[in-house]
Amino acid sequence: MADKQQQVVVKRARHKSSVKDPGTPGVLKLTKDRFTFMPNDPSSPVKHNVEFRTIKGHKFTKDGTKQALLNLTQDQGGNYIFEFENFPDRNVCKDFVASAIALSGEAGRTVPEKSAVPIQDEQLSAAEMERRIKLLQEDSDLQKLHKQFVIGGILSEAEFWATRKKLLEQNYSRRPKQRVALKNDMWSTKPLADGQSNRVTFNLTPEIILQIFAEKPAVRQAYLNFVPNKMTEKEFWTKYSRAEYLHSTKNVIAAAAEAAEDEELAVFLKQDDMLVNEARKKIRQVDPTLDMEADEGDDYMHLPIQDHGLPRNDNKDVLDSQYEPYRRSFSQHLNQHAAVVLQGRVIDVELGDTRSVAEALARTKHAELAKDASDVYLDKERLERISRMTEIEDLQAPRDPAVAPLSIKDPRDYFDSQQANAFSTLGDTVSGAKQLKCSVSTREAYCSLKECISEIKFQGLTEPTINSEVAFKVLNGLAQNISSNKYHLGRNPNESVLDSLPKITREELLLHWSSIQELLKHFWSSYPITTKYLLTKATKLKDAMSQIYPKLQEIKESVQSDLRHQVSLLVQPMLQSCVFMDQAFCCRP
Amino acid sequence: MKFQIEDVTVYFPYDNIYPEQYAYMVELKRALDAKGHCLLEMPTGTGKTIALLSLITSYALSKPSNPIKFIYCTRTVHEMEKTLSELKLLHNYQLQHLGPAAKILALGLSSRKNLCINPTVVSAENRDSVDAACRKLTASWVRELAAENPRIPTCSFFENYEKSASEAILPPGVYTLQDLRAYGKLKGWCPYFLARHMVQLANVVVYSYQYLLDPKVAGIISKEMQRESVVVFDEAHNIDNVCIEALSVSVRMQTLEGATRNINRMSQEIDRFKATDAGRLRAEYNRLVEGLALRGDLPASDAWLANPALPNDILKEAVPGNIRRAEHFLSVLRRLVQYIRGRLQTENVEKEGPVAFVASVNTQAGIDQKMLRFCYDRLHSLMLTLEISDTDEFLHIQTICDFATLVGTYTRGFSIIIEPFDERMPHIPDPVLQLCCHDASLAIKPVFERFQSVVITSGTLSPIDLYPRLLNFNPVVSRSFTMSLTRDCICPMVLTRGSDQLPVSTKYDLRSDPGVEKNYGKLLLEMVSVVPDGIVCFFVSYSYMDGIVNSWHETGLLKEIMQHKLVFIETQDVVETTLALDNYRKACDCGRGAVFFSVARGKVAEGIDFDRHYGRLVIMFGVPFQYTLSRILLARLEYLRDTFQIKEGDFLTFDALRQAAQCVGRVIRSKADYGMMIFADKRYSRHDKRSKLPGWILSHLRDAHLNLSTDMAAHIAREFLRKMAQPYDKTGVMGKKTLLSEADLEKMGNSNLGEMF
Repeated sequence: MADKQQQVVVKRARHKSSVKDPGTPGVLKLTKDRFTFMPNDPSSPVKHNVEFRTIKGHKFTKDGTKQALLNLTQDQGGNYIFEFENFPDRNVCKDFVASAIALSGEAGRTVPEKSAVPIQDEQLSAAEMERRIKLLQEDSDLQKLHKQFVIGGILSEAEFWATRKKLLEQNYSRRPKQRVALKNDMWSTKPLADGQSNRVTFNLTPEIILQIFAEKPAVRQAYLNFVPNKMTEKEFWTKYSRAEYLHSTKNVIAAAAEAAEDEELAVFLKQDDMLVNEARKKIRQVDPTLDMEADEGDDYMHLPIQDHGLPRNDNKDVLDSQYEPYRRSFSQHLNQHAAVVLQGRVIDVELGDTRSVAEALARTKHAELAKDASDVYLDKERLERISRMTEIEDLQAPRDPAVAPLSIKDPRDYFDSQQANAFSTLGDTVSGAKQLKCSVSTREAYCSLKECISEIKFQGLTEPTINSEVAFKVLNGLAQNISSNKYHLGRNPNESVLDSLPKITREELLLHWSSIQELLKHFWSSYPITTKYLLTKATKLKDAMSQIYPKLQEIKESVQSDLRHQVSLLVQPMLQSCVFMDQAFCCRP
Repeated sequence: MKFQIEDVTVYFPYDNIYPEQYAYMVELKRALDAKGHCLLEMPTGTGKTIALLSLITSYALSKPSNPIKFIYCTRTVHEMEKTLSELKLLHNYQLQHLGPAAKILALGLSSRKNLCINPTVVSAENRDSVDAACRKLTASWVRELAAENPRIPTCSFFENYEKSASEAILPPGVYTLQDLRAYGKLKGWCPYFLARHMVQLANVVVYSYQYLLDPKVAGIISKEMQRESVVVFDEAHNIDNVCIEALSVSVRMQTLEGATRNINRMSQEIDRFKATDAGRLRAEYNRLVEGLALRGDLPASDAWLANPALPNDILKEAVPGNIRRAEHFLSVLRRLVQYIRGRLQTENVEKEGPVAFVASVNTQAGIDQKMLRFCYDRLHSLMLTLEISDTDEFLHIQTICDFATLVGTYTRGFSIIIEPFDERMPHIPDPVLQLCCHDASLAIKPVFERFQSVVITSGTLSPIDLYPRLLNFNPVVSRSFTMSLTRDCICPMVLTRGSDQLPVSTKYDLRSDPGVEKNYGKLLLEMVSVVPDGIVCFFVSYSYMDGIVNSWHETGLLKEIMQHKLVFIETQDVVETTLALDNYRKACDCGRGAVFFSVARGKVAEGIDFDRHYGRLVIMFGVPFQYTLSRILLARLEYLRDTFQIKEGDFLTFDALRQAAQCVGRVIRSKADYGMMIFADKRYSRHDKRSKLPGWILSHLRDAHLNLSTDMAAHIAREFLRKMAQPYDKTGVMGKKTLLSEADLEKMGNSNLGEMF
């Protein structure tokens, strides 16, 4: 991983007190937790040595602007401005600072005594780190545990996350990796002519090649056909550039003449037949409310002046039809380009290898066109879209309840908030839920389920699978049910023991409960204790557990007498587990 | 909701209604009661179409004893689809409330190209070749031959349709073109002939203007429509142009060459027939002697386009003796083609009236007026006799005969203009002979006479008193409605100066000024960074658009614009433009945002809506004047001045401003929608130009917005967008109701409606 080199970054830079200030030249050194600036002139008073955790944010100028600036903002309002010699330097520092701030910010928020954190023994990629930080931020419970054990030194970072691999992975795989879109830049053939000789230079990067392939299927096809059997890659691109150059001169006759001599060149110069065919396929799927081709089919007036009063076809055919295939308009190019950018990056191939890029593009195109053949579903979707479009929205109430995908980040927060709702509607939902449960016998439920399944088998899944109103109701019911269950942690779910406790006690209890769980998990996972490492770990865990024990006792004592019995009932299993763990540790072989 | 307008219960498929929709319906109902024509202007974005559909269908439902037929004409096929899907919505609602009594048959009609489901036929390139390919399979003589020889291909869909005979009918319902195709596939019937047949029986027919206005098409499709019909021309601001085009013909060198080829081919055919089946030619001759230009009952599949002259002007007498024989007729055609060829060789622009032209044809080619008049019917008869099925090959001779018939029929309101070259390219000879109609009232006259109510409606019909004069009719109701707005959801601005404070305009002397091009580009750049989602730009012509986009590309402005939004552009290739539009919508849907470059008077400006996020801003670059040096235009202006006392300048401004208004009006569809309109030309700030804009735009054009520069416009845009993002009460504020519910309407009654406006 790249982190090895990124432990320390040293770059030449100027420190500036303000943007206008010419600045003091010097060396900027970045390490994981701090940055230092040493001026070239040792007598200069401008020296800095600042910890990243006091830095709140960073700003920077856009690439290609006048100055390559990086501005670090401090908590107290001060800031440090550095100007770099070039943008790549600045960007390296920028990225480093960004990750450093994120790290220290996370650490800074949880504990000031960061020094106590055991040195991490694994190298983490920035992405991995970010993911972990994100998880912690989203889930307050997890954050508390993390604070308690990892920063408290009982578990190492790696150990802590080892048991949560699934969470990480799931989180990772659930959202598709965000892909960078294509740049909305036309590859304008601005040839670099050097004035003296007749030489014209073109610049091609893998990114540009991808763009050319995506926008001009004929070139892609030609590449697959010609390279490397007929010509080398270099020859191919030279030819292509030659064709582009001919187009840019807008000399149709010259283009035609050259094409007549060289049949490979002609491929590039002629109009793209593949595009035309594609267009013909696509037009069939176009929304009929904007299909202008259909108008043409309904036109009985053979008049050149079709558009009332618009001057007749301006660039009229001055040339013979033999040159027709060599004519290419800029507008066409513009539309094709925008269409490709809109479609986005359809392939997932390393850009360096031109051939594989071409092949991958050809494959996806093929699959796309094949898919179009079975367009029953598309038709339906299109019809629905049209009928939605025709409705005048403000003349009637909105049709569906507004739907958003459900994303519960912090289950605890969510259920807490739902709990509040639950109380307001407690009466009817709880009783309603009860009724529901009572009125359905197992047999009936089974039958109904079977019916549902057979229906789905017969009809296939409808879209959406269930009515959104129903879904909302069910979700509400479930949420309340779960949240109340969580709070009715005692034996009897109908009496909410926890709710009658003072808030602090309740929180504490829950926290202890989850930390005991965590500890137990780690404890048992370290069995059998075969190495010294495991032994120390188990010892640490046991110690942590024994610290919890008195706290639990304390809680038990602190509550009011009328609740004490119930609390002790709650605490009992926890206490037992503490004791049991203790015993287990002592009795180990 | 449902409510009463006088004695009619109106079924309206929404819970609420705009007050102006209600008022519109009231006026419309009065016109229907009076069995007269009406002219109604209502701003775009107030649900005109649904109000029309809802009232007229409800009116028909309330009078079951003498049902009226409803003919709805749209400009384009995609508008037809839109209308039909609104009608579907309405029909479902009426079925819900009235049950089976509300059942109607409504269908759209288009050409074979859009309806054919025979894969071999429909794959042909254009409409003419599809028509011809269909004839090759379905013409009566082909089918006769096929009955004997099974190797000759026929169309199974047409055969099935014919076999089912009277059973082949559409059950009640609303059919879009796609539905028709689907139904045809299901039953194995030809949807085109089925639809053409059902048009006579349907309650609602939706088709394009040409099916009523162009005598060639109307003659075969709309001949038998009953008098008790309501005809609606929607988006009718250009109706005069359509009328004129329906009666205009142009002939080029290629046409003449093609016509000569056609004549040769026909003469070969005649020779062949003489050798094999001389009786057929003789039979035709006898028929012509008896005075029948055409055999009475042609099978639908044989019918060709009808006579280009209007039905009342077609001579009801026998074909003159000297063109009854096929060879004689061909030689007349040869002489005519030869004569026109001679005329095209002129060095100068020539202009003359039909009378002079006919006289000179008579003296030089020996063809008199009556022969000219019969050219088309005679040709038609000959082609049927010769059993020619590849009609697409014979378009050229058909054009010549069109021309001859029209020139022989009409003496007023037409002129013949011969131009040896296009003014802008004098070095390239491109002679063209044009027969242009100047009088829009000619083509629409039979429609006004035949049907009891004709409704002409659009978002931009100002000045509303001009249309009755142009079309020469007396409306019983002529009204312009204003829009009652809940909030100021449109924001028109006039931009006169660029970012460097220099004036911007597309006036001839400023047009190619690089400073103006740059200022226009800067304006767009500023706007793409401020306005979310879709932006539409209209230019005055294709050449201007190409030029300016190229220059933006070269100066790098386009690249900067593309950093903010994707760029799509209208081209003269409809397929490409359609795909570009489709992609534009996708880009707006997904939040990427896009700009669409389009041309005023072009196809996109004519019929595509840029409502909601598809268009938050329209920029009209320049004033879309017609090409004023065009001879045709000049001739028309002269005619208008002499006949209607309409000043040239007034007409040109009126015409340019209605196009501009049409372009910018595309942004708004309902009152929940909002959008900005920038008129970027200094000429818009002049009162005589601006005042020609429709009232609903003028009423929102504040004095402070009349003379803006780019930075000011950007500031106003920001403010406006911020304001529009706030929540608002859509039922209206401060006692001014902008949304009426059923209860409101009941309370109001019909009596005090007038007070609301």
